[in-house]
Amino acid sequence: MKIIKELYAYKSMIGSLIQRDLRGRYKGSVLGFAWTFLNPLLQLAVYTVVFSAIMRSGIEDYYLFLFVALIPWIFFSSSLTGGSSCIFSQKELVKKIYFPREVLPIAHVTSQLVNMLLSFIVVLAVLLVSGKGIRPGAVVYLPLVILVEYLLSLGIAFITSALTVYLRDLEHILVIIAMAWQFLTPVMYGVEMVPDQFKPVFMINPMTPVIVAYRDILYYKQPPQISTLLHACLLGAALLAVGCFIFGVLKRHFAEEL
Amino acid sequence: MNPENAIEVRDITKSFKIYLDKGSTIKEKIVSNKRRKYEKREILKGISFDVKKGEAIGLIGENGCGKSTTLKLLTRIMYPDTGSIEMKGRVSSLIELGAGFHPDMSGLENIFINASIFGLSRKEIERRLDDIIAFSELEAFIDNPVRTYSSGMYMRLAFSVAINVDAEILLIDEILGVGDAGFQAKCFNKLREIKARGTTIVIVSHSMGQIEQICERSIWIHKGVIKAEGTPRKIHPLYMNYMGEKRQEIADKEARRQRKKNGQEAEEAGADKEDRNQKENREGTEPEEKDGSRWGNGDARITKIGIFDAEGQAKTAFRTGSDIRLKIDYEVKKTVKNAVIGIAVYRSDEMHCYGTNTRIDRLDSFSLEKDGSVELYLKKVNLLQGKYLMDFAIESEDGHTADYYKGAASVEIFSVIEDVGVMRIDHEWNIM
Repeated sequence: MKIIKELYAYKSMIGSLIQRDLRGRYKGSVLGFAWTFLNPLLQLAVYTVVFSAIMRSGIEDYYLFLFVALIPWIFFSSSLTGGSSCIFSQKELVKKIYFPREVLPIAHVTSQLVNMLLSFIVVLAVLLVSGKGIRPGAVVYLPLVILVEYLLSLGIAFITSALTVYLRDLEHILVIIAMAWQFLTPVMYGVEMVPDQFKPVFMINPMTPVIVAYRDILYYKQPPQISTLLHACLLGAALLAVGCFIFGVLKRHFAEEL
Repeated sequence: MNPENAIEVRDITKSFKIYLDKGSTIKEKIVSNKRRKYEKREILKGISFDVKKGEAIGLIGENGCGKSTTLKLLTRIMYPDTGSIEMKGRVSSLIELGAGFHPDMSGLENIFINASIFGLSRKEIERRLDDIIAFSELEAFIDNPVRTYSSGMYMRLAFSVAINVDAEILLIDEILGVGDAGFQAKCFNKLREIKARGTTIVIVSHSMGQIEQICERSIWIHKGVIKAEGTPRKIHPLYMNYMGEKRQEIADKEARRQRKKNGQEAEEAGADKEDRNQKENREGTEPEEKDGSRWGNGDARITKIGIFDAEGQAKTAFRTGSDIRLKIDYEVKKTVKNAVIGIAVYRSDEMHCYGTNTRIDRLDSFSLEKDGSVELYLKKVNLLQGKYLMDFAIESEDGHTADYYKGAASVEIFSVIEDVGVMRIDHEWNIM
């Protein structure tokens, strides 16, 4: 409870770190902030060309099928990999100044969240322009799913950022883990394609219900099933709790380890 | 916690593992787990102190004594191994300046980022913005990216933010050396103003003068424990004295090393060994002696020089304006008739500050017939801060030098007033 109160007092630090991250990222480039939108749009263009002209799949509008899952996946995986170095990369700050250490992963994950939300503007625009359309009855569930994914990403960033301080290799290992994890999550294929014997693996993967929910809402235009939402909430809460605990234990010696 | 106190530190200890060969990759962690050597270094060995609300204290001590670690524990960057620290009120630290500055962003944007890292809300920053900019004297450049700033401007901006964070407890580590003399004076005045408002302050500094001007109390930390604590006026001379002696030790060691080196060279050149042995035998009984720093016919020799304060305490560090008593012991081999004993004082950069002898001072002529000693009482030594070397000499009336001992003794003078030059001239101002 005390930490939540303290984090609230440091909300402007979180805010300015996010701002610095978002504005600093494209600073100096000619197109500047426009890259935030151009980046997903160009990615989408590549997928469209590849999957509708070269590698055709049986799924209708595969590029949309993939895209509505890929944008949330990128949010999660950048929280996982980028989050791992967010404390290490600010070591001068951590060694010299007191602030609640949770601020750093929170700021990193939140700035990734803002990026995803901006990308979603592109997603929604494409859905409308392509004639696929949006169903308001389904989209109202979107904020809930985003919130669950945010908590999930936060949990994982707490774990990876704290462990990377003690074990630098993790940064590189996580890149591989993120790749493997992507293939074990129904991002490029539907969950119904998973063979039965692998189903348990997919059920303990916290990203499975999240991606399923996104796809339900945006691709199939239907509200996600209650069981899917419950499943996602449960795993998200569990991961966050584990993350908070690990971070709480490890943060005390950050300044000495860095 | 006592309601009068802002900080209570109880018996804290802290040790670090110093890895002789730090490996934090998996391979090193797994493969050579047993071979990873580390030394456990105890930095703090049980320190307790209280700081009252509105009090300012200074932590002093030589490098590596644990004073900065203590401050880091107070800021909660690190946690003690055992013991407890309790603090009441908002804590702000002036340890790292310019934390989180982004070179591509403007001075203004960086003020917001930097101040938010100190835990200020946006509203609080906006309220202080004018003060911060005015204090930094960077009004004309505040919209330029920070990478275009000179290092002085950068530090000025950083300091302005840090010092304008109102806190109930302010922790400062050796950062008052920012900017030019004018800006430093301004920072200092601001600090006084903050203190007058009732802020509790803890300063770590090597500048005794700064601490004496701000703090009511000094804590001398030595090898992880508190060696002495009390008013700066009481503690600083003790500390300076210790440091002076330590420096003397190092100088002696260096002199011995040099002599050894020279001796070896002499040996190689086939020089007379006996002479050298003789010289080394003398070493134990005599003060420092450098080659070429002593000459004379040896009829009488200075054997020992004692330095004492007015109360007769042996000391090597003195505050500007204090009395110094010197006791010069000598041995006599052959009577020196109508002897003249003299002293010369040099600053460490060879500046000749003062010199006199018994003839100049018109003492009745005396002869040295047997071993004895003389006392020289230097009253109100107004030399300013620095290291001073003293030459002593015994001559006979006809100008034959019995013993001239260059750099025979040294004293450390320190001052809390920041006047400059060689010596203080007693003065008063009258503004008409």
